[in-house]
Amino acid sequence: MTNLEIYNNAFIECLGVTEDQLAGLKYQDVESWDSVGHMGLMAELEDAFDIMMDTDDIIDFSSYEKGKEILSSNYEIEF
Amino acid sequence: MMKMLEGKNVIVTGTARGIGHKMVEIFAQNGANVFAHARKETQEHKQFCEQLTVKESVQIIPVYFDLQDEDAIKDAVKSIRSTKLSIDGLVNNAGVTYNALFQMTNMDELRKQFEVNFFAPYLFTQYISKLMIRNKKGSIVNVSSSAALDGNSGKSAYGASKAALLTMTLSIAEELGASGIRANVICPGVTETDMVSTMPEYISEVQKEAAFLKKLGKTDDIANTAMYLLSDYSSYITGQVFRVDGGVTQYSKR
Repeated sequence: MTNLEIYNNAFIECLGVTEDQLAGLKYQDVESWDSVGHMGLMAELEDAFDIMMDTDDIIDFSSYEKGKEILSSNYEIEF
Repeated sequence: MMKMLEGKNVIVTGTARGIGHKMVEIFAQNGANVFAHARKETQEHKQFCEQLTVKESVQIIPVYFDLQDEDAIKDAVKSIRSTKLSIDGLVNNAGVTYNALFQMTNMDELRKQFEVNFFAPYLFTQYISKLMIRNKKGSIVNVSSSAALDGNSGKSAYGASKAALLTMTLSIAEELGASGIRANVICPGVTETDMVSTMPEYISEVQKEAAFLKKLGKTDDIANTAMYLLSDYSSYITGQVFRVDGGVTQYSKR
């Protein structure tokens, strides 16, 4: 699986969204991406990429696109 | 014998001696695998873990880090995570005490109280709770103090840091409840440990006299309460504060 597929799967599994909803998806756009869903998503991404995210990054992770940017720049995950 | 923690994997901080040391013993006897934290690696602690592993047929894994070092905390979490064991419980037990009147309290010491008794468990719990969120279950037990509730003389720094830990626990009980994670607080009264030996003797004498049970608490009393809160027997209990003080509080209300 590519990193993009892993990343997308985390959203799909944790938030119950479909792939076509991912582009442009922002925190709290869907009911499942509330604060509880956010922590579940972060935990899933940490597990999937074997990383430990800093609290500041968890706070900044405000959208599907922003998340990719954070993972690329701070955790050396290439998409 | 019924084993209350059979098959559970739990983390306990501050296990070099006192309450934490007893927790590791009792949890192991009850079937738990334990990540046993201590600040410094010592032969004595390593042997304690090894012997308990053999005696109780569980895994007692020593973990060493300084609670005042954020990077060390993070590295410890990475090492715990690398074992791939699901984490069922966390007991933030480690703490430092300090006895000084308000006007005599040194600011450096005040900061140290908050660093070890509050900031460190706060950060550690942030990390460990994420491991629990994945499994949609877990129990967090924070060891506060009766000083957090009663505001004893000479305990303004220690009591305030433990009160911060207590309040944090009540907040996270609500926040993490939806993820199946429970969080509770134990407030021990004066308990027979090395830490208590640093207190003026008259305090423990007054506590003993004030307790309905006319004795100080033992480390077993606190460890057994923590075991209950980690176990499935307390599966509907969260956001609660448990005084384990022999009835001292009730006496003071008279």
